[in-house]
Amino acid sequence: MTPSHNPSLTLTVEIQRNTIVVHVTGDLDYETCDELVRTVDAQLARWPQDGPRLTALHLGFAGLRDVDSMGLSALLTIRRRTDAAAIGLSLDERPPALQRLLEITGSLEHLTAPREDGHAGEQPGAV
Amino acid sequence: MRQRRERAADASPLPVDTSRRSSAAPRGNGHSAAWGDAPCPVMVADGRGRLVELNAVAASLFPGAEHGSSLRDVVPTWLFEAHDRFASDPAEQHPGDRTPASGPIGERSFEAHPARSGHGQVVWWLVDDTDRRAAEEALRSERERTAFLARASTTLLASMHVETCMEATARLAAEHLADAAVTVAPGGGRGHPVTSCGPSGEVMHTTVRGNPEEVPGLAEALRGFPPVPSRRIDPGALPDWAVPEGLAGPVGSVVVSPLPGHGVPAGALILLRTEDRRTFSENEEVFARLFAARAGAAISAARMYADLTAITATLMRELLPPRLRGVHGVEFAGAYRPYSQDERVGGDFYDVHPGATGEEETLVVLGDVCGKGLEAAVLTGKIRNTLQALLPLAADHQSVLGLVNGALINSHDTRFATLALASVIRRGGTVRLRVTSAGHPAPLLVRADGRVEEADTRGTMVGVFPEITSTTAHLELAPGETCLLFTDGIIEARGGPWGDELFGADRLKAALAECAGMPAEAVVEHAQMLTEQWIGGGHHDDMAVVAVTAPHHAHLTAVDGRTRGRYTA
Repeated sequence: MTPSHNPSLTLTVEIQRNTIVVHVTGDLDYETCDELVRTVDAQLARWPQDGPRLTALHLGFAGLRDVDSMGLSALLTIRRRTDAAAIGLSLDERPPALQRLLEITGSLEHLTAPREDGHAGEQPGAV
Repeated sequence: MRQRRERAADASPLPVDTSRRSSAAPRGNGHSAAWGDAPCPVMVADGRGRLVELNAVAASLFPGAEHGSSLRDVVPTWLFEAHDRFASDPAEQHPGDRTPASGPIGERSFEAHPARSGHGQVVWWLVDDTDRRAAEEALRSERERTAFLARASTTLLASMHVETCMEATARLAAEHLADAAVTVAPGGGRGHPVTSCGPSGEVMHTTVRGNPEEVPGLAEALRGFPPVPSRRIDPGALPDWAVPEGLAGPVGSVVVSPLPGHGVPAGALILLRTEDRRTFSENEEVFARLFAARAGAAISAARMYADLTAITATLMRELLPPRLRGVHGVEFAGAYRPYSQDERVGGDFYDVHPGATGEEETLVVLGDVCGKGLEAAVLTGKIRNTLQALLPLAADHQSVLGLVNGALINSHDTRFATLALASVIRRGGTVRLRVTSAGHPAPLLVRADGRVEEADTRGTMVGVFPEITSTTAHLELAPGETCLLFTDGIIEARGGPWGDELFGADRLKAALAECAGMPAEAVVEHAQMLTEQWIGGGHHDDMAVVAVTAPHHAHLTAVDGRTRGRYTA
């Protein structure tokens, strides 16, 4: 467990056998979105090369309060990272506000589409 | 009081004690007295002001003094007067109670401590305090300078206005460092702005078109090179503009110092003293440089601020939303509220591109760029320009959106924009629209009977995905009906009675239901007023709305009897 603190965003990282789970609590917005991207980058970089293969990143949104367009931009960045690293991305326990934002902007399918093996490095949406 | 004095005398302070011992020594043979070998000058004088004895150190201090000399002739006046006062006032028992007499002897400075001896004689112990005085003087002047620099910094930093800073620099320098001071700003093509302050404290601004080389060292100082030593500058060579009015006499000495800025020189400072004042010492020149460093930093900061403000103002003019009005028989109204009072531009925008004639469609664009402030505003500008270039293709919203998407997409970030496009044309009394949302909340239609409908359009945001899709809704507005395009900020505004509730789409719809039959301007104002009331003083994102309304006065132009005859008062 690696907690990191921000006035309005709390990230809790949980490492499982083949997955990283990041619980996002608070506001994912203009002020805080970089924090999430940094944390995910650090976790991906830290995954041991010689251990079990990393297959998926789960973002848990049960504690998410507000999300704005910069928050969505951060999720799109993370999707590019996980595609490049050939691992799956899963957005879990999406509250209505996030669901609505993903639907209106037309990004829901792109962000939640299963990763296609053999297309690592392609941009999200290029399926 | 008197008692206290006597007791103090009994406590035998050193000078008294010593003198008593000396008076007990054989007279007329000072050199064998206990103080004969004392390292400080000692002399004994009688009540009539005649020298009785002096030791070797004192003898070297007062050449020509010997037994029987009149004190008036051999010692400085201040010492003679101190002796006169002390000897003629027997009440003055204890000299330790008062400040000892002091003054210069030759090139050094002494304190004189008297002690009574027998027969009305007084023994004077002279203590050299030259070094202590010099140290005290240095300390005092250092303190004054530190206090001055602190005061100067406070004054200089109080303003972010370049001219005020130049003025403060000239005034402070004229008051504290010289008789008059002149600041010279780096010149653009239009000469050097010059600020001068004379002894009266009155500040003058001029622009000097002449050559800065006229003042020795000024060209170098303006380029930030180290100052030319004061003694190498000929005061007679100064041009008129460099000498403020009101100086008591001709200029006697000059210091030219650079005003160092952040990276680039902020200008130069010229200090002037009149002939009758002493010239600038090396120490004073160093101090002038310290002052110039502070002044330069302040001026430089003010100048950078002014530049930034000018740049921002220029950008703002480009990025501010346009003022909307009726076009080809259709009403348009828009409102924009940036997320912060301090910002005038941000991530939301709208534009109306009128058709060349009433037979061509007018394109309305409303957009929301992710992010805030200038960064978002720049991306906004890019999208608005791209859309303008794509106007000839506006008949096909999907291809316009595809091209905008292609122009924005890049591999290094995932910044995106959501857009709503509306192509508007008036046909008789009705207004026809093609409306396309690209990642935007669906526009709302306010029908004449108060129903509020969502336009049936949706699509992908632009700027991130290589492929995007969207659907276009084809709509008609009867007179008095409105199509409202709005950004997320409206429905995402948090506020309400508990300050934490979203305004939400339902509240917006309810608010719009009251707007049936209203002109475009009134619909926009109503929507804006309600959201602002909802937010109160709280935090919100950028908000923008545009209303497209079919006007009631359609019968004025549509005289063919096809008007629907429904009017509100």
